[in-house]
Amino acid sequence: MSVPDVRSWIDRFAELVHAERDRLTELDAAVGDADHGSNLDRGMKAAAAAAGELGDAAPGELLKKVGMTLVSTVGGASGPLYGTLFLRMGASLGEATDVDGPAFAAALRAGLVGVAARGKAEVGDKTLLDALTPAVDELDAVLAEGASLSEALGRASTAADAGRDATEPLVARKGRASYLGERSAGHQDPGATSVALLVAAAAQTL
Amino acid sequence: MSVGIVVVSHSRALATAAVALAEEMLNGREVAIGVAAGLDETTFGTDAVAVKDAIEEADDPSGVVVLMDLGSAVLSAEMALELLEDDAARERVLLSPAPLVEGLVAAVVAAAGGATRDEVAAEAAQGLLGKTSQLGDVAAPEPEPEPEPKPSAGKDAEVTGTFTVGNAHGLHARPAARLVEAVAGLGATVTLRNLTTGAGPVPGDSMMWVSTLGAEHGHEVRVDASGPGAAEALAQLQALAAAGFGDEG
Repeated sequence: MSVPDVRSWIDRFAELVHAERDRLTELDAAVGDADHGSNLDRGMKAAAAAAGELGDAAPGELLKKVGMTLVSTVGGASGPLYGTLFLRMGASLGEATDVDGPAFAAALRAGLVGVAARGKAEVGDKTLLDALTPAVDELDAVLAEGASLSEALGRASTAADAGRDATEPLVARKGRASYLGERSAGHQDPGATSVALLVAAAAQTL
Repeated sequence: MSVGIVVVSHSRALATAAVALAEEMLNGREVAIGVAAGLDETTFGTDAVAVKDAIEEADDPSGVVVLMDLGSAVLSAEMALELLEDDAARERVLLSPAPLVEGLVAAVVAAAGGATRDEVAAEAAQGLLGKTSQLGDVAAPEPEPEPEPKPSAGKDAEVTGTFTVGNAHGLHARPAARLVEAVAGLGATVTLRNLTTGAGPVPGDSMMWVSTLGAEHGHEVRVDASGPGAAEALAQLQALAAAGFGDEG
């Protein structure tokens, strides 16, 4: 994959977030402070625009730009979390101009590790990790079978959706939702919902 | 220069007002305070890049203490550390878990008095002391033991004396800050106790501990001072008390 592919991925994610903005905010209203959709929409609009202005940069540089833009424009916790995801992906890809499947998977893994460290969270805490972790695991496993990146991302997206759905009965242990304790159960996690859109966007464009 | 302070908040208005409140305690002295608050004047949110810029603005060889409100303010501050390009600058920064407003007031007074970074952070962390002692034990954590070695009834004190609190509202925040300011410059070790209530002894260089004396109008406060400048410290405190700690109230 090259820069135009990465740009399409970012643009597609921004479109999906925009389309799902109200739904994400609605989910956040149940367990948080009702701003996930509006915050991430504002951030991804700015990030897609910044990526568009970057010209001939390498994929890694473009992802770093996306991360830095999110950090400064989202405002809520998803700013440093998504920001870290993209910044670590960018650092993992480095200067490479053409990125193959394993390199992309390794970058996404680096992003996942970064987000977990930033939020001091783990799988089962009812966070975006619950969708992103199974997606990255599936991506690695399918690529190891020798499948194409496109096919692997399709299966990773299915895994992300399943992980997202599985957050519903969980009791939140991180973030604002954890203030609710047991009452956070019965609501799908907004962060897991948005990160499933990120993986879906990758499956549609890469 | 003194230790630099950074304020991270979701709200620019909140941060600006908190800084103004803290600066009330400085009696014209200057402390470098960087602010990273809100996405703009009216949009709530935190921005790790703005936090990084504020740290660089407040940076000082003696260190930087960062005070935050909640949630993403903490994540953004942690991320800002990662964004700092200078490893030495990162090592100088300490993220404080203190409550924002109380911690900020305590931190700037300590910084203005020439405290080290860790002393400023310790003072900020004691930010709730005054309130918890005033409101009693209800749902309040036990105050930690005082950081200074506890002199037993002036045994090691070179100089002992008393002053009476003349301020109508007692030793509230601003007079307490002036008291700490006077003590900080002299190098003496000063402990105070409220002879009227029996509160103390507390270290005279900590605004938060001084506030736990609950010294009200008419209370008699005993000063034990030792070390260099001890006699001068006592004389200054007595003069300051006679002048109402520079306060009209």
